[in-house]
Amino acid sequence: MNNNFLLLMPEFLVTGLAFLVLTADFFLRGDRKNFLPYLAVLGLIGALTFTLIDQWDRVDHLYEGLILIDGYALFFKAFFLVLGVIVVLSSVEYVKRNLDNPGEYYGILIFTIVGMMLMAASGELLTAYISLELLSFGLYVLVSFDRYGAKSNEAGTKYILLGAFSSALMLYGISQVYGLLGTTRFDGIAEALSATPDISPGVLVGLVLIIAGLGFKVASVPFHMWAPDAYEGAPIPVTAYLAVGSKAAAFALVLRFFVEALMPAVGDWQMIIVIMAALTMTVGNLVALAQSNLKRLLAYSSIGHVGYLLMGVAALAAVGDDGRVQLQLSHLASNGLMLHLVAYGVTNMAVFLGIAVVYNATGKDDIANLAGLSRRAPFLSAVMAVSFFSLAGLPIFAGFVSKFYLFNAVALQGLLWLAGLAIFTSLISLYYYLNVVRQIYIEDAPDPTPISMPKLTVGVMGVLFLAIIFLGVYPVPLMEAIQHASDALMSSESPIGLSQGLR
Amino acid sequence: MIELAHLQILSAGLFAIGTYGVLARRSAVLILMSIELMLNAVNINLVGYAAFVDFDEATRSFGQVLVIFVITIAAAELALAIAIILRLYRNRSTVNVDEIDLMKW
Repeated sequence: MNNNFLLLMPEFLVTGLAFLVLTADFFLRGDRKNFLPYLAVLGLIGALTFTLIDQWDRVDHLYEGLILIDGYALFFKAFFLVLGVIVVLSSVEYVKRNLDNPGEYYGILIFTIVGMMLMAASGELLTAYISLELLSFGLYVLVSFDRYGAKSNEAGTKYILLGAFSSALMLYGISQVYGLLGTTRFDGIAEALSATPDISPGVLVGLVLIIAGLGFKVASVPFHMWAPDAYEGAPIPVTAYLAVGSKAAAFALVLRFFVEALMPAVGDWQMIIVIMAALTMTVGNLVALAQSNLKRLLAYSSIGHVGYLLMGVAALAAVGDDGRVQLQLSHLASNGLMLHLVAYGVTNMAVFLGIAVVYNATGKDDIANLAGLSRRAPFLSAVMAVSFFSLAGLPIFAGFVSKFYLFNAVALQGLLWLAGLAIFTSLISLYYYLNVVRQIYIEDAPDPTPISMPKLTVGVMGVLFLAIIFLGVYPVPLMEAIQHASDALMSSESPIGLSQGLR
Repeated sequence: MIELAHLQILSAGLFAIGTYGVLARRSAVLILMSIELMLNAVNINLVGYAAFVDFDEATRSFGQVLVIFVITIAAAELALAIAIILRLYRNRSTVNVDEIDLMKW
């Protein structure tokens, strides 16, 4: 058994960076600590460059398939590292003004990136679980990072109690799968599931519990109760990170788990996921209508988006008339899911950065507080309006392309009513997004003093703004990367030679 | 004679009690204890399967290794949760989850 540990180099590098930031924090005094985020950004960009050069077109595995190195993992590793850079840069101003201990903040943030990278790369349930916990532990701390804020503590408590509960559910599921199938590796599970046409109730309980645990992590109805509270109470950049990063990581894991492990049993789980998706987008978007706090509104809107993403999972495969699993359309669904993750991520980062700017200036994050923002900060208002249009899925913005692709994949898979429901709930969401835009542009500002933004924030915002438009107008380069990742996920030459049995 | 079924029933029972505790308890600390019960149910389940099912050597020891991982992670999770709940207590002087209601809906 030869293990090439150099394959884990990206994770090692990022872990090293986290320790470096923590150590540097120890030696720097006072104002010098402002240098920490730039150290983190430089390190993350270095790790990104190394990862892209080192793992480009590399297909390999470590520890007998516990960790998989392939195009799919690479795509998500790169996405998480870029996301990390954006989150760190958008935290700079907020952390300086509102939080103590910047060293721990950035250090823990970087540790969670390691967790996310491992989640995308894990090919086995225990590895997946441990990387999930690595991510979650960091997020528990980050959510309750505002030590003296009552809301932040409350959010952290609710998040960790429900998070621990959900991981207990998931672990019980893993133990059932281990005991009854004799393996926790994804390819082993797929093999065991395709060997027997009828799944035993014990295994089914296990799989349902694992799905419930993952459902908690992505905040899908009926496991969404923690999300709005955690989002509202957390420091704003952390909310953005929760909404984008933890969700993308969980979906990276979900997608691999469903494609590589559960595909043979699609007849058993498809209905569960369809129902979860339908409930999630309906409840998320309907409850969002009643919100007055901006972060809470976006929490429910993100629950709605989880519904769309789950729809992509449901559309991964279908059982044909002959009772065999059909995979022709899997590519479309997984492409759509990843595209929507990226588009939603970019857009949400822009929105939350805008909220953070307003919060820094006014100390509030209510929707009413945005009144007349267009007179106070025209550029900020334009970016936020574009982001809300993109979230709603209006054409020429990123959100339109990704929603179009995803809904199309779902409709082609035969889940036409579900795609219809998705379009309908998108229309509902348009109402509350436009309500915010109305506040920004039509209402009068009670206090018309201009809001000034640091150059760095303007720069990050400009990049995100361009990315939203670019992805909406010309998504081809991103689509190619995603297609490559999908191929790696579905190909029969994936690292441990799986899924030949399927087709 | 103890069989696999006994351990499974014990584990499922413990898991159910833990779940009930999480849903019904008012104190955050008691909720944590109930979660610990659930995690220990997982451990009993794993050990039971590893001991009684006819696995090969590697699979058998994997189950036991899994238990050690679960114990470790549970300990870390508990420490973190207690720390966060302690902060909550300092700020609000209560750990009753019914009274932690600054944010609703």
